[in-house]
Amino acid sequence: MDLFPQFLANGLVMGVFYALSALGLTLIFGLMRVVNFAHGEFYMLGGVSGWFVTNHLGLDFFSGLIVVAAFMAAVGWLVDRFLIERVRGQGEEPGILLTIGLSIFLVNGTLLLVGPAPMKVAGAMAEGPLFFGPIAVTKLRLLAVAVGIALIVGAHLLIRRTRLGAAMRATFQDPMAASLAGIRTGHVYAATFALGCTLAALSGMLLASIYSAQASVGGLISLKSFVVVILGGMGSFAGAIAGGLLLGVAEAMWGGYVSMGMVDVIGFVLVILILLFRPQGLFSIRTERA
Amino acid sequence: MTLLSESPSPSAIAQAADAPVLAVEGLHVAYGSTAALHGVSLDVRAGETVALIGANGAGKSTILRAISGLLKARSGTIVWNGKAIANLPADRIVAAGIAHCPEERHVWPNMTVQENIALGAYLCRSREEVQRRIGMAFHRFPRLRERSRQMAGTLSGGEQQMLAIARALMSEPRLLMLDEPSLGLSPKMADEVFDVVRSVNGHGVTVLLVEQNIHNALGVASRAYVVKTGRITASRPSAELRGDPDLLRAYLGG
Repeated sequence: MDLFPQFLANGLVMGVFYALSALGLTLIFGLMRVVNFAHGEFYMLGGVSGWFVTNHLGLDFFSGLIVVAAFMAAVGWLVDRFLIERVRGQGEEPGILLTIGLSIFLVNGTLLLVGPAPMKVAGAMAEGPLFFGPIAVTKLRLLAVAVGIALIVGAHLLIRRTRLGAAMRATFQDPMAASLAGIRTGHVYAATFALGCTLAALSGMLLASIYSAQASVGGLISLKSFVVVILGGMGSFAGAIAGGLLLGVAEAMWGGYVSMGMVDVIGFVLVILILLFRPQGLFSIRTERA
Repeated sequence: MTLLSESPSPSAIAQAADAPVLAVEGLHVAYGSTAALHGVSLDVRAGETVALIGANGAGKSTILRAISGLLKARSGTIVWNGKAIANLPADRIVAAGIAHCPEERHVWPNMTVQENIALGAYLCRSREEVQRRIGMAFHRFPRLRERSRQMAGTLSGGEQQMLAIARALMSEPRLLMLDEPSLGLSPKMADEVFDVVRSVNGHGVTVLLVEQNIHNALGVASRAYVVKTGRITASRPSAELRGDPDLLRAYLGG
């Protein structure tokens, strides 16, 4: 029996979450130029705090999602105002050191508070599968994907249609011109970081409702998010989505047809190929510097 | 032409005779440990066009950048309409009615012309008011209307300069500071830009102009300050400087 459609569906499901997380990183890394090694930890915190609010505070899934979004936006805002702010405009290295330190702090802080065991976010609905011809997808996954897509669309509308979004684009294209137009660029940076952090966290919470959250998952997620951002092109919204789906499908195919054990390698193979043949990414944006 | 909402009121004209609207006193600015301005003092009266002239690197742009809040003043005062504004953040300066149109235009290249113009009125919360100002900008710069959906980065240098001026005017400033508006433009295009500056000034907007092309600067400004290595070395009416090339050469060290 040909499992190709099933692998493709599984890959696209994972791809949505990769895209969501990478969208957060493309804002922080691609636009703000902060090489954020704590990105995976924001994802992890989303899963862990999602577990906490659904299992310990007894919130339903959607209320939990909103609480986690607000909490992680606040975390992102504070991290930017109190930490990233200090290294802004000093090149990439201080930011790398800072975020590596932050990631170590967040992982170990989480281990200390909740321990290393996997934590499952209480899902919004039962696990029953739905069949679409040869493809089986659980209702839970379908719901998580729908929420993920809604978040991607929401982020897109925020950036393209709102006053804050316009201020973001102006600030990243030319911060001086933005200041002179009366835009408070410090707030724009913090808001962008908060948005990136929230997208990662919600991706983490959605996936933790399907699988589980674990304090140690962040490192791999950070790397995969960087993979997606590089695949798609730095700072490109469409690129993050295409890159995320591409990575999800490539992993599913590799896992399905070749070997499950080596799945995490596939992303890095893709990055090496992209860097060799199309270093600007699949969707380069027209600016010299985003 | 009624392009700007406010024409100068009689009281503003009366005020023009005495107190300056902008008074800079003993301004010191440094880039890191390198001092760039060593106690600059100047003033601008309402409705005037004043030019800052001087060689490259003399500190002309630095003066504008300090006034608009892009750079911190080490010491000294900047008084605008009787209020001390030195070291206020840039958004407060814009809100107070000073617009700075920076050197090399700095339009947002990957935004459309219309978006660039609209964002010039970022601090204006009323959608209708922003629409009204956009209408005025397109009325003043018909070529920008033709190109309104084009990315600003695809415009010619002259068009980008017009766009930068249009964007700066969107905050409806009472003082417009222009930094090298003719830089890199053909003489014909530069003339057009200075026609715009004259017309803006004619509508009651005070202008402070930095310009390397002395002929252009003195053609549009009524007075000029000569800036040399971070200091003001002279202040003269344009006519006097224009009529005396030797004097000019002496000041500019050329």
